[in-house]
Amino acid sequence: MEYILHILITISFYTLLAQSLNLAAGYTGLISLAHAGFYGIGAYTTAILSTQFGLSFWINLPLAMLICGVIGYTISLIALRTVDDYFIICTLGIQVVLFSVMNNWMDLTGGPLGIPNIPSIHFFGLNLDRKVSFLIMSLIFVGAVWFCLKNISKSGFGNTLKAINEDEIFTQSIGKNVYKAKIISFTLSAIFAAIPGALYAHYISYIDPSIFTISESIFILSIVILGGLGNLKGSFYASIFLILLPELLRYSGMPDNVAANLRQIIYGLLLVAIMMSGKKGVIALLSKKSIKKV
Amino acid sequence: MMQVLFNIIYTTAIYMLVSVSFSLIYYPVKFFHIAHAAIITLSAYLVYLFLNKFSFSLYLSIAFAILITIFIGIITEVLVYRQLRKKNVTSLSYFITAIGIYVVIQNCIILCFGNNTKIINTSKVSVGNQFFEAYITNIQIITILVSVVLFIFVNLFLSTTKTGKSIRAVASNSNLCNLYGISSNKVILLSFGLGSMLAAIAGILSAMNTNVTPNFGFNLFMYGIVAMIISGVGSTRSLIVGSLIVASAQHLSAFFLDTKWMEAATYMILILFLIWKPLGFSGKALKKLEV
Repeated sequence: MEYILHILITISFYTLLAQSLNLAAGYTGLISLAHAGFYGIGAYTTAILSTQFGLSFWINLPLAMLICGVIGYTISLIALRTVDDYFIICTLGIQVVLFSVMNNWMDLTGGPLGIPNIPSIHFFGLNLDRKVSFLIMSLIFVGAVWFCLKNISKSGFGNTLKAINEDEIFTQSIGKNVYKAKIISFTLSAIFAAIPGALYAHYISYIDPSIFTISESIFILSIVILGGLGNLKGSFYASIFLILLPELLRYSGMPDNVAANLRQIIYGLLLVAIMMSGKKGVIALLSKKSIKKV
Repeated sequence: MMQVLFNIIYTTAIYMLVSVSFSLIYYPVKFFHIAHAAIITLSAYLVYLFLNKFSFSLYLSIAFAILITIFIGIITEVLVYRQLRKKNVTSLSYFITAIGIYVVIQNCIILCFGNNTKIINTSKVSVGNQFFEAYITNIQIITILVSVVLFIFVNLFLSTTKTGKSIRAVASNSNLCNLYGISSNKVILLSFGLGSMLAAIAGILSAMNTNVTPNFGFNLFMYGIVAMIISGVGSTRSLIVGSLIVASAQHLSAFFLDTKWMEAATYMILILFLIWKPLGFSGKALKKLEV
């Protein structure tokens, strides 16, 4: 039972991560490989605040979102000077710098040893250290973020983002501020990534930099692409699929490390298959709906 | 200080080789073939496999490894990228496909060889030759020589021979080339073959100097890319400058700060460059579209 709850909680984290990245990558077309970095910033902010200053989760979360937002905003100012492939390379560089800071700034982050003993979340005197209550809370967060993103994508601003993805120059020519819209979308995506980060830190109660690597970024991006760019429900299904996959492989009698590698091989192949078929995500791949470009 | 200078020269040579190998592929196809990183790693592991498991001689294993990596490079082009080109997809799709291929090859390597460090033991450990209070090993001298020779060779090849010129022609306009009877598919195949060969050489040489881990190709490749972006995409000769900047940034930061900041320094250089000169040194435009 504990095991199933743990998997469900992990799924909710990755849903949050994938949906927040989907705002930048799916709607606006800003494929970012720095998402694990923002996830890490969220986790480290809450970890440092709660272990060193003894602040509660409900103060840490807004602060983590604020810090992620500020850093995301600064990064977007730099990264958005470039376009397309160069943008991805730039975010990749930023991811490595963020990881390097987490891994090497011993005084602040504890370096490779990480930060232990992060307290669990208290909610009006109720201790949320049991898995069931934690799951309910993270599901509420998933719902809230999903609702926000859904509304953003349906708003006028969301339409601007979709227009930028379709044709940037045309969008600019009808008087939209493309640069500003891109910055806002990237920053929002970073802010939302702080939520799973903060939740993760309090849930596991111990964080170290090995979780927030470049391969984690690639994994989150894969969830978004497998689920379909610009498809929030797809991100949810894809994170269920990719989290359950290694567990299923393990049940079929495979050793742990083989299952982990095999999962990566499978999603690598799926990425290639999706791109070669020109469909938006696995769900679209199965239902014969074809689209013109990704 | 002399040692730092030698290290800079050696690292410049390696990065130059990697960035040349990558730019040979990048110029005609215009997308980031990330799987190149896995190909660098693969070449080193293949040498390890042939040398230690099949106990072939060193030169034979190197030759086999290079042949196999060329083959894999060509296969990715024929089976995947060529099909994508027929569909005329955006550059982001190429990038994501390349990430997919990278993940697949990388994990196949880990599955076959495991996650731990491998050592390609070529000969007995030598102390190294001493020049002006600095130590430099034989393999480092060989690396510098090979990379300089190959760099000159590639430059001559691109500027004088007919095939080399056709690569540059496809790089500047592939549709026009097809009209003039140069098959862009053939040229791209050739550039994938050549690029993978150079990548394999760089990977093997670098692996002989240090050890092989599943991630070493990715780091090497990223430094090569950073060098390429800094030097401004479009000119092969300016890759020297880019590699020199990256190598100096790393070794100077290691010398003055700490070795743990080497990696971050590289990317900080890239980020600073993108702020200061978004178009790189040679100033070729990377804008999305000129209306």
